[in-house]
Amino acid sequence: MQRITIDPVTRLEGHGRIEIFLNDEGDVANAYFIVPELRGFEQFCVGRPAEEMPRITSRICGVCPEAHHMAATKTLDALFNVEPPAAAKKLRELFYSSFYVTDHTTHFYALAGPDFVLGPDAPPAERNILGVVRKVGLEIGRAVIDARIRNHEIIKLIGGRGVHPVAGLPGGWSKPLAPEDRAHVEEVARKNVEFALFSLKLFEDVVLGNPAYRELILADTFTHNTYSMGTVDANNYVNFYDGMIRVVDPEGNEFVKYHPRDYAKHIAERSEPWTYLKFPYLKGVGWNGFVDGKQSGVYVATPLSRLNAADGMATPRAQEFFEQFYTTLSTKGANGRYKPVHYRLATHWARLIELLYAAERMLELATDPEITSPHVRTPVSNLPREGAASVEAPRGTLTHHYWTDENGILTRVNLIVGTTNNYAPIAMSVKKAAQSLISKGTVVTEGLLNRIEMGFRAYDPCFGCATHALPGQMPLEVVIRDAAGEELQTLSQYC
Amino acid sequence: MHTLILGLGNPILSDDAVGILVADEIQALLEQQGPRTDVTVETASLGGLALMERMLGYERVILIDALWRTHEAPGLLLRLGLDDLALPQTTERSVSPHDTSLGIALALGRQLALPVPEEIIIYAITVQSILEVSSDPSPAVAAAVPQAVAAVLAELE
Repeated sequence: MQRITIDPVTRLEGHGRIEIFLNDEGDVANAYFIVPELRGFEQFCVGRPAEEMPRITSRICGVCPEAHHMAATKTLDALFNVEPPAAAKKLRELFYSSFYVTDHTTHFYALAGPDFVLGPDAPPAERNILGVVRKVGLEIGRAVIDARIRNHEIIKLIGGRGVHPVAGLPGGWSKPLAPEDRAHVEEVARKNVEFALFSLKLFEDVVLGNPAYRELILADTFTHNTYSMGTVDANNYVNFYDGMIRVVDPEGNEFVKYHPRDYAKHIAERSEPWTYLKFPYLKGVGWNGFVDGKQSGVYVATPLSRLNAADGMATPRAQEFFEQFYTTLSTKGANGRYKPVHYRLATHWARLIELLYAAERMLELATDPEITSPHVRTPVSNLPREGAASVEAPRGTLTHHYWTDENGILTRVNLIVGTTNNYAPIAMSVKKAAQSLISKGTVVTEGLLNRIEMGFRAYDPCFGCATHALPGQMPLEVVIRDAAGEELQTLSQYC
Repeated sequence: MHTLILGLGNPILSDDAVGILVADEIQALLEQQGPRTDVTVETASLGGLALMERMLGYERVILIDALWRTHEAPGLLLRLGLDDLALPQTTERSVSPHDTSLGIALALGRQLALPVPEEIIIYAITVQSILEVSSDPSPAVAAAVPQAVAAVLAELE
């Protein structure tokens, strides 16, 4: 059996690696992705006070520390059975919305942008944000950096510390928003709305306006018919901070809606002999392998799935784009809901609609009369035992579950992080892209391999990349071996 | 000239904390010597764009970071420049999959005429354990901290 290795995956840090196995005929037999494992996390946590978890968990994931901070803080609410004041919830959501703006902005311009603005076949040396800025103009580049910087300032202002916030407490938030700071937050939110609208226009012009990219988005290569998961509010609209977990089937019918604390009743994990990763699936459907369809318990948790699982967006402009998204890519089913969009590359568009929603929600909260209330904490008075809660991390539903003794000392910890939900769909996308693009007689070029990466880059995965050794451009090496393991060809970049 | 000394790493991932340990020690020593307006000492868990943004406005930046190379013994102190980061073996990962490399981030900063530092010096300490969740670095790496502290302080003289 021949083997192609892409190691490591460009623009995805950690030891993320794709293994593509070819058969003797040179066709793809199987494709897997393999990620690093952090060791000793649970042992590190056990024996520590539970209230340290918002600061510990934000350190284990270098990708979305704010999401872990928020999930941990909400889990402490559940653990201590304490209801935060309304102002604290709003302040948390304001903080979280600002985080979403930075996160989705960075993904679109630094990761998705190179593929769509420059094209999947552009030389690797140009296929980065520098190339994007060269193509679209310096002003847009500055707008991206400005968006990141102004929102990081808000995250620091509200979260008490940049990148790794410290303000989350059981029952609330450690400090209120000062009235003199509120106007600045509102100003940032207004700029964010404008920036999100601009980004959606850019997507329309550059991506939707290009027949080749439209074709790429609609290609069967990047399509999977799976269940979709997302958090919804009382109106079944997308919510990042709080709500019920809703799962719809591949046709768009509600399959289940449950409280996040009940996740274990609905989600199970499948082990496979070739990896230590565990693949979550829907218990109510069962595991039937890495396959599409209503009979497969595989589900996806991404910006695209959140839109699929919801009936709409809770803010007006985002709702307009939600309608445009589904009228362009879908039709309404017999149940009156839009049928889910299964084109995985449409996730990039969905992400921009979420960017707009986050910006609009931030503005709503920044202008809420209650946002500067000094009452941001409910004192804890109940004995802790067990608590579970979730938020929507940018890359999927993030669930924390803690058990403690009566003194609040952790005895057990379980996390299902955003990307974990998507392990099975990512493996499926990699295999399908590989099968479609590598076949007998096909020359393996970097452009083809990048298309395979595009298959899972849409998921915006994070692979346990909490460490931070010296930063640099990720090298990419592709080794093609024959059935005997002999090296036939090596393709590389950044090496 | 205003210098930023920036210790990078993850404080709960064993040897990856070394940059933070060195920066903390430097901060303590500088405080003992009295206030300095030309030096700022900070720690961060950043890479790529966010790291570039953190360095804006300083004329000189001294980064202190872990360096994972399987063929090097742990605890070796290296003084590197940005050019060295182009070598694949000098990079393991950035902190975020949303990011570009530091080199591309700095190039972007220059492309956009942002105030990126004129000089960037990197002190790297080779490490062996960066996947173990622990607040304790391995002995060989911990032993390299004083040498790294002295080397960085010498840059200020």
